[in-house]
Amino acid sequence: MSTTWLPCSVYHQNYAQDHAWWQTNFIKGKMLVLFLVLFVGIPLYADSYWLSVCNSVGYTVLGALGVQLLIGFCGQVTLGHAAFLAVGAYTSTLMILEFPWPQFLLDWGLAYPISILVAALVSGVWCVIFGLPSAKVKGFYLILTTMAAQFITVDFLITQYISQIGGRGQAFSLPPGTIKFGPWVIDNDLKVYYLMIVLVTLSCVVMINLLRSRVGRAWVAIRDNDISAEVMGINVVKYKLLAFFVAGFIGGVAGAFWISNLAAISPEHFPWFWSLWLVGVILIGGVGSIHGTVFGSIFMVVVMEVLQLLIMYLMDMGFAWAEPLFMDFLFVKEAAFGLAICAFMIFEPNGLAYRWWQIKNYFNLWPFSY
Amino acid sequence: MFKRNMLSKVFGIFFSLALITGAAAIAEAEVIKVGSLNDMTGATSDVGKDYALGIAEAIHYINDNGGVNGKQIKLYQFDYGYRVPEALTKYKLFQRLKCVAVLGWGTGDTEALSPTVTKDQMPYVSASYSAHLTNPAKTPYNLFAATDYSSNARAAITAWFDEKWPNHKDYGKRKPRFVCSYMFASPYSSAPIKAVKDQAQLLGFEVGEDQDVSLFAIDTKSQILAMKKFAPDLVWHGNTTMSVASTLRDAYSLGLGADHIINNWGIDENLPRLAGEAANGAMGAAVCAFYGEDQPLMKEVVAYGKKYNPGVPMEKRTVRAIQGWSNALALWEALKRADKAGDLSGESILKNGFETMEGFELGLGGAPLSYKANDHRISGKIPIYEVVGGKIVLLKVVDLKSRWPDKWEKEWLGW
Repeated sequence: MSTTWLPCSVYHQNYAQDHAWWQTNFIKGKMLVLFLVLFVGIPLYADSYWLSVCNSVGYTVLGALGVQLLIGFCGQVTLGHAAFLAVGAYTSTLMILEFPWPQFLLDWGLAYPISILVAALVSGVWCVIFGLPSAKVKGFYLILTTMAAQFITVDFLITQYISQIGGRGQAFSLPPGTIKFGPWVIDNDLKVYYLMIVLVTLSCVVMINLLRSRVGRAWVAIRDNDISAEVMGINVVKYKLLAFFVAGFIGGVAGAFWISNLAAISPEHFPWFWSLWLVGVILIGGVGSIHGTVFGSIFMVVVMEVLQLLIMYLMDMGFAWAEPLFMDFLFVKEAAFGLAICAFMIFEPNGLAYRWWQIKNYFNLWPFSY
Repeated sequence: MFKRNMLSKVFGIFFSLALITGAAAIAEAEVIKVGSLNDMTGATSDVGKDYALGIAEAIHYINDNGGVNGKQIKLYQFDYGYRVPEALTKYKLFQRLKCVAVLGWGTGDTEALSPTVTKDQMPYVSASYSAHLTNPAKTPYNLFAATDYSSNARAAITAWFDEKWPNHKDYGKRKPRFVCSYMFASPYSSAPIKAVKDQAQLLGFEVGEDQDVSLFAIDTKSQILAMKKFAPDLVWHGNTTMSVASTLRDAYSLGLGADHIINNWGIDENLPRLAGEAANGAMGAAVCAFYGEDQPLMKEVVAYGKKYNPGVPMEKRTVRAIQGWSNALALWEALKRADKAGDLSGESILKNGFETMEGFELGLGGAPLSYKANDHRISGKIPIYEVVGGKIVLLKVVDLKSRWPDKWEKEWLGW
């Protein structure tokens, strides 16, 4: 049955209609406005600073999608996802810097797009390796095995060995002009934004479609009760590993995207704290919701920036008490992060996505909501 | 009546806002904005807090002393927690605020932002003294008022080789043995490693396997035991003070028997306090005077420290604050010169500001500043200090430029 609120007397007559993404003209209109805002409005009106904030949101969404899939849809708790972002970033960077690309691929600007795909695949496979223990363990024990991904991948392999490739030292930087997507050299915030918005849109579409398929239903069944899922004939290990692969794949895309934003990487860019942060994003946004991933990312990045600008404004207005608050804003941010998680756990355990759903329902039933 | 009251209130609020905004705009006309990225909570906060205080105090001093030819400096100072993504967003915010220059912090973010600041022509005066930032052909807008890590390390190895090794019982019988202890993953710690090993080989050391020690390390026994197998005569430490103190303590308690040389961010007034006897004999470069030392500007530094940060006892203040002052004062001088030339653009701050300095003295015990258009290393003379009885005293000044003139000019620039 469709989950969309339909106007009176509109009924679906076949499965295609029932499963359609945008089922009414109103929804199509809303989505068109959203697309216009994302692809035209923001690039037209946002300055470099706000574009970079948007890029941070996009990077967070891409990183958190995999965490959402594992925790929110498949019930596999992970605390080492930054490792898979690192694998994606390093694979893409090393391919650009070290791979003997045929000249025509460089000329056509295909080296970076291909490297994104390869990075995603490598990261997906790497994630499956660390997902293998999920066949045997779950809960707290699985948290520890996923944390091992961080220590083995970033602190050991990347730091000790991968970083040494080419004798560059710890920090890899990509020379200007090497991050090219077809004819476009990705060399300013606007181009990074367009790349980000395309990648985020594609990743969300893939995720949503996967969740509507047999695979997605199997993941949700495993999340709800893995023994029941197995009894129903679902190959639990296979689907768990598939979830790890997809989560790693999207993490790899996130990592490969990150290098376009900065054109440089070092192991410091992927601390364990980032894995924790990504879990915070989905807790605040809403566990088990793609919307939640986006809302959580916006909350964690934009709200903090706005709060900071507000303090800056107060400081400029001459409020002396705002000055130390401004300097110590990171304390405020960390405290806000902790408090937000506590507050959401207590007052809104289903996250921002649930609040969004309630608002939508209210207006769908308006003026006869009760 | 209600409507009229509401209208007058709305008009009043609107008028006040317009007045405030207008006043702010007028005030802004005489203000030069400078951004500052600091680490007060992250991996390098053990040395970052006092540096940040130093920056803020120096800007107060600058403004009290006429600012930039009468224009006041407005400082936007952020704690970015040593996180690279945070640094990137903050840098964009500085651009949005129309900051004319940035006082940056760590090697990881400074090197990562380097292509961006070059493209934006934003003078970026960092607390990272990585030699990778000294070649204007690659990083023209990266500057700092200090000798670079690689030169500091080369000088420290040379000083030990000249002063300590001849007194060793095995002198003349075998090569001295040398290992490096630093956090591999940190671009700061690993930045000079190539130069460190190059210098060790140049002086004929036998180089052992590097030891990975975290910036957060509180227990380094396994690394010390691994070093013991090689029995080094000299260990180079590339981390910051807390981590270095832990390593020195463990080396002392496990009887490593080696001497220690330390990068400048690992040796300060806190090292003897934290490491106690284990710090005795440790050597390292300092890029400026220690807090409270007899220097022309030190009285002002101490006075501003007392005035603006009275909650921090004077005995807790360190050389880090002086390093902050040095970078801020160097930028001040560059801004004054660029402003005098009538152009406060990034290019002018570089060309008419920094690159016109020739032997400019800050009065804080650091090497006189000389930035050439093809070389941003300020000096080849590096003072090496030693911890003696809990005090840090000058051991000798190593003049790399005079000793290896060809290598200094042609080989060593930029790494």
